[in-house]
Amino acid sequence: MSTIDYTKNEVNVQGTRSLKEIDDLIVAPLDRIPNMKFFIAIGITSTMLLIGVIGLALSFYYGTGLWGNNNPVGWALPIVNFVFWVGIGHAGTLISAILFLLRQRWRNGIARFAEAMTIFAVITAVIFPIIHTGRPWVAAVYLLPYPNQHAVWVNFNSPLLWDVFAVSTYFTVSLVFWYVGLIPDFAVLRDRTTSKIKKVIYSIFSLGWRFSNRHWQHYEMTYLILAGLATPLVLSVHTIVSFDFAVSILPGWHTTIFPPYFVAGAIFSGFAMVQNSLIVIRKVFDMDDLIPLKTLETMNKIILLTGTMVGYAYSMEFFIAWYSGSQPEYFTFVNRAFGPYSWAYWTMFSCNVFIPQLFWIKKVRTSIVPMFIIAIFVNIGMWFERFVIVITSLSRDFLPSSWAYYRPTMVDFAILIGSFGLFFTCVLLFTRFLPSIAIAEIKAVSEGAQPSHHGGEDHE
Amino acid sequence: MNNSVDKNKNQIDLPVVKSDSKPSHWRSLDEYNNTSADNQLKVKANEFAEGAENFDIGSKSKVSRRKFMALMSASSAMVMAACTDYRDKGEIVPYAVKPEEVIPGVANYYASTLTSDGSGQGILVKAREGRPILLEGNPQHPISKGKLDSNGIARILDMYDPSRLQRPRKLQGSKLVDSDWKVVDKEIIQALNSASNSGKEIAIFTGKIVSPTYAKLIEDFKVKYPTTKVYSFDLFNDNNKQKGWNKSTGGTNYPLLDLDKASVILSIDSDFLGTDGNVNENIRQFMTNRDFENPTSYSRFYQVEGSYTLTGSNADYRLRLTPENYLDVVASLVNHFASKQGKPTMSGFKSLESLAKENKWKHEAASKLLSDLESNRGKAIVIGGKQLSVDLHVAINYLNDLIGASELYRKSESDFRAVNLSTDEEIANLANDVKSGKVAVLINIDINPTYHLPHHFTADNLKKVKTVVSLNEFENETTQNSNYVLGINHDIESWGDAKIRTGVISTQQPVIAPLYDTRQREAVLLNWINGGENYTEDIYHKYLQSNWETNIYPSLGRSVPFKEFWFATLHDGVTTFNETSIVSTEVNSGSISGIKPTNKSNYTVILQENYFIRDGRYAGNGFLQESAHPITKITWDNCAMISPATAKELKVEIGDMIEVVLNGKAIDLPVLIQPGMAEKVVAVDLGYGRLNSGPIASGYDGDQVGFDVTPFMTSKGLSKWIYTGATVKPTGNKYTLIATQEHHALDDEFLITEVRKNPEGEVTGGGETFARARSIIQETTVGHYIENPKILKEHGHDVFSITKDFEYNNMKWAMSIDMNKCIGCNACSIACYVENNIPVVGKEEVGVGREMGWIRIDRYYEGSPEDPIMSNQPMLCQHCDNAPCENVCPVVATTHSQDGLNQMVYNRCVGTRYCGNNCPYKVRRFNFFDFRDNLANGYYKTESTKIMMNPEVTIRARGVMEKCTFCVQRISQARQNAKEDGRTLKGSDVTTACQDACPANAIEFGNANDKDSRVAMMREHNLGYHVLDYLNVKPNVTYLAKLRNSDSLGVKSEHH
Repeated sequence: MSTIDYTKNEVNVQGTRSLKEIDDLIVAPLDRIPNMKFFIAIGITSTMLLIGVIGLALSFYYGTGLWGNNNPVGWALPIVNFVFWVGIGHAGTLISAILFLLRQRWRNGIARFAEAMTIFAVITAVIFPIIHTGRPWVAAVYLLPYPNQHAVWVNFNSPLLWDVFAVSTYFTVSLVFWYVGLIPDFAVLRDRTTSKIKKVIYSIFSLGWRFSNRHWQHYEMTYLILAGLATPLVLSVHTIVSFDFAVSILPGWHTTIFPPYFVAGAIFSGFAMVQNSLIVIRKVFDMDDLIPLKTLETMNKIILLTGTMVGYAYSMEFFIAWYSGSQPEYFTFVNRAFGPYSWAYWTMFSCNVFIPQLFWIKKVRTSIVPMFIIAIFVNIGMWFERFVIVITSLSRDFLPSSWAYYRPTMVDFAILIGSFGLFFTCVLLFTRFLPSIAIAEIKAVSEGAQPSHHGGEDHE
Repeated sequence: MNNSVDKNKNQIDLPVVKSDSKPSHWRSLDEYNNTSADNQLKVKANEFAEGAENFDIGSKSKVSRRKFMALMSASSAMVMAACTDYRDKGEIVPYAVKPEEVIPGVANYYASTLTSDGSGQGILVKAREGRPILLEGNPQHPISKGKLDSNGIARILDMYDPSRLQRPRKLQGSKLVDSDWKVVDKEIIQALNSASNSGKEIAIFTGKIVSPTYAKLIEDFKVKYPTTKVYSFDLFNDNNKQKGWNKSTGGTNYPLLDLDKASVILSIDSDFLGTDGNVNENIRQFMTNRDFENPTSYSRFYQVEGSYTLTGSNADYRLRLTPENYLDVVASLVNHFASKQGKPTMSGFKSLESLAKENKWKHEAASKLLSDLESNRGKAIVIGGKQLSVDLHVAINYLNDLIGASELYRKSESDFRAVNLSTDEEIANLANDVKSGKVAVLINIDINPTYHLPHHFTADNLKKVKTVVSLNEFENETTQNSNYVLGINHDIESWGDAKIRTGVISTQQPVIAPLYDTRQREAVLLNWINGGENYTEDIYHKYLQSNWETNIYPSLGRSVPFKEFWFATLHDGVTTFNETSIVSTEVNSGSISGIKPTNKSNYTVILQENYFIRDGRYAGNGFLQESAHPITKITWDNCAMISPATAKELKVEIGDMIEVVLNGKAIDLPVLIQPGMAEKVVAVDLGYGRLNSGPIASGYDGDQVGFDVTPFMTSKGLSKWIYTGATVKPTGNKYTLIATQEHHALDDEFLITEVRKNPEGEVTGGGETFARARSIIQETTVGHYIENPKILKEHGHDVFSITKDFEYNNMKWAMSIDMNKCIGCNACSIACYVENNIPVVGKEEVGVGREMGWIRIDRYYEGSPEDPIMSNQPMLCQHCDNAPCENVCPVVATTHSQDGLNQMVYNRCVGTRYCGNNCPYKVRRFNFFDFRDNLANGYYKTESTKIMMNPEVTIRARGVMEKCTFCVQRISQARQNAKEDGRTLKGSDVTTACQDACPANAIEFGNANDKDSRVAMMREHNLGYHVLDYLNVKPNVTYLAKLRNSDSLGVKSEHH
């Protein structure tokens, strides 16, 4: 067994590169004309997006009746998708804020990308609460607490309204946080670029950054404060999303375990999604060194941890449902596992609880292909978790007379595909227009960036 | 004021004009010459007032006063334009000459009668600004007493149905083309004349006739055209019952029953609460002795049946039995009593005990039946279904005689038939005459022979008749084989009268002028009698009036002059008088000789009357198609109901197709596994599988609406509706049956909770149905209740709120539903559809669970799948005090009123459906589509259906949630009336639509704070309970637990 040498800095970036080389490597995708592969990729994602747009257009024209929703199952795929995408959006802020506060320097290589994913995931997510309503054109207005002569106000008792605030706050703070981190990088881009137009744009966004000591001081302080602000949000957003369910009286929704369970699940799926995307990015843009295997391994460990937490929540829910002595409650859980939706339940359970357990094996969590596949399973599992929660509870609630089976329609799937299309189109465009790795931050963890009593000779 | 005016005047009179003077100091030549355009303008401005030139608006703003005005008016106009409601494009035009009795906004009620369906029910037509919008029962009518059956309530939709025949049509070549009354009248009269001159038969083929004046008119017709023969046909007739009574007693009319005096009722497959006899009257009388406040006089009701009927579901003991064995039951009872009384017995029949054993009846059922009949002499009655064979009726009449049931025969009145229904032989003769070409003119009046008598009146056979005339409201199978298709009026566009009982005669008056170029059937015939000249719209009105004046009025012996009598009768819709009725009760005991037992062979097929579609007449009515069958909960289809064991034997599941072969005729039908059916019995509803009858009846988008089983009807059965010796085999095909309630796998045994045991292995609890464990259905037996009135309250639990509850100081609207009275007939639901403008969504949408009904009847089983008991429960918005829907709505679109109503604000609703999710009763309904537009390409979104809408109830837009409002529009109306009268509103001022429609008066509505009201009493009653009370949502609909007059409830769930 190897022993860890605590006298050395941990290696977060492999190889030795000059600062210029780091700049070049990270900015390279922005400068060159994308190759065919990129166009194929964006062709696929934008086609997916178009499918979603068509699905939505049809839904707006004919009505939500084109979906599978029915009378007991008022919420279905759109809400599943919403919770799924908000969950995906959790990893970004967690990585950039919480891990920043905890001085986890391995995060530096992945923070930018994770944050970008947060932004795109939240954008994708917020579409759903609006479009899932029967009258989106009024929902977009009525859900906002604006003063009006009717003196009609929003209902502050409703968890859906809390959602509006939680998600919009989260989105705003994440966006600001992301942008603040981007300022020094914009300055790098501004200084490098030869294009006049780009120069203007970068100049505007870099806010006159001159790499001065004072700038750095203010920057570090701002970043720290924003990290402090964003940290509770990571926990609060999914807590509040979970209130959509927990505050209701429906068996299977009305559960106190939901907030921590949802947050753990969100981090779980968020990390899986980040891991998936990073594996692709580091391969495509030759950034293996900047995002070393060790970072991925650490992420896998977090996936293992949160996956186990989720597994605990599943078991505890079941136990409490039985222990409560409440017949409807207990039935809901038995029904989940053995009722008509048992296929969804066991998909969820195996993907989220059993499969991630493979990460106990070092070989698995340090090999690219297995970890990639496992993370895909985690995302499938987490999508199904939301499906199980939303649909099984609604389809069989208190009165057996109103029970009904829910089946998604093609339009439901079109919109789901469209959401992936939107997300990945944004991600692809992001890799072309902004540095996918925080240049300033990666420099800080590069070889020789920090003062060291070894005089910079301790590397292999 | 004067001063200032004068001053102004001075100023105007003395304008300071400086145009001529030259300035002493100048900067340019222009200024010196005063020629600049600017100055010229100033000069003009100064024309009016001194100082005006100093106020230069141009310096304040670039916009001139004129421009400002223009912009203002333009923007105001734009705002006004923007504020107009895009949905409201209608015009409101005031009356030029206001009809005397019409006040805009106030409904008028007119008494009338339904005659076309042969029911003769007295109705009240509610009209708003001249538009009929709702049909209710006429409270003054002595038979229906303010109640109307489901078909009658839904009949309003027929009036506005877009596929009504709107003008006469005639066959040209091979196509029916629109024509003109003048033309068709002329041609038909020619045909009639030539037929009667050449001695060829003119056949009038009509449905059941209830109108004495119509009967007289037909006699007149016969006089004018002497070769005329009249045939009257009803698919579900009581000819067998009539014949049986005639055989037993020699009398013509079987007696009406005083069910309200019966303590023990044994029904041999009579669906008397659903389809058999005068249902509203039956229900009212039956419920008299099902009063929870009078448990000691609670009647006991046994039902022997092979299918599962609405009536059977209300039985205390339901004895399932294959129809071949009905005779055995009656015979063994006959033998029991006859042998004691020394009267003739029936031999060769099975004993009651062996039947009980074979069919696994509850162990005490058979012996209890015997002892009940024995100990309730004079208070027990046996009712035979009208579809049974003549032999069975004879045996039942004899049995009734033996048990002294004649005391329950009504002596004061009897049924009246204006025209007797034709016998099967007479119909067969007509068919032969048609086939052999003896009939020259066949006039079908409101009847559909091609569909109802498919063996006789095929298209080919009808071609042999020179002139086929069909008078119908809608196209049907027969109209497409006719030479002339004449659109006739709806009931509420027609004049008429009806007599279905001795001593009662009701009138029918039109409430609206015919919507289309149609005539009422009587007027068409009358016009032909008159030779077709000088037709006016009121010819039948005059005929009716003169018939009353000359024939009916004198026989009534009234002292008031005819005119006054006539208008008073029209106003009331009904008049009663003394008329003797002869009821023969002397039963000839010899009549039973020769009755032999029937043997079961293979499968038995029961063809039954559908509760909504009836004989197919209502298949085009969306409300009725969408009503869930009270037993199967199937909508938009009929199906083959078979028992679980039979299904297992056939290896079929719900929706599998089976081929039923009967007397060589094979029909494929979808299977519905119906718990409680007798083994090897296939029950199918008639009236479905209509062709050429519009999108609702015949399906649209390639869908099919049910299966036609009329080809099964031959003379080779036990009766026209019961056949033995069918073979059944699965075809391997599938069909999608749509039900409003999930059919759970029968292995679930109706969802029984886990049995709980203590460590010693003793059962401590559980094993209950979900409905019971979740406090949805609470029931007990009459015996237990008398023993311990608080039996249902003992296991209650206290729930408390941690917050302070709102105090309802004045009104608090509440409802109570007596489950002892609710039979599950669905009339409430249909009335709600009409009252509240609820859209029909269609088969496909019901299939995905989107039916829109605000009140539904839930069905729960208890006991074994072979022989369960069934509980019905009307479920509607419970208007909870702690409504869980209200706090989750993000936009406050659902709120609570001070008088306890849970309200929906449609304008505000954005359609998150969160309220629906959080409603434990799942009574909220979401507009997934604009359903009127969505159904059959906007079938119900036409000009005509628009007129039918209740103007007091908003038409909900796509994307909003809706639900029961407790008929808030009626509450508002009552409040307004109370205010006008200067009194305080009382709970009893308001009745909801469902309450009015309920034939059993199971629904009470009123003020819970009024301690004297029925509702308040029921809320406090020992049997009163709230569904899901442990959720502490505090519902305001109280259910009165059902008492079953049996020794125990379901097999598995004896109440603890």
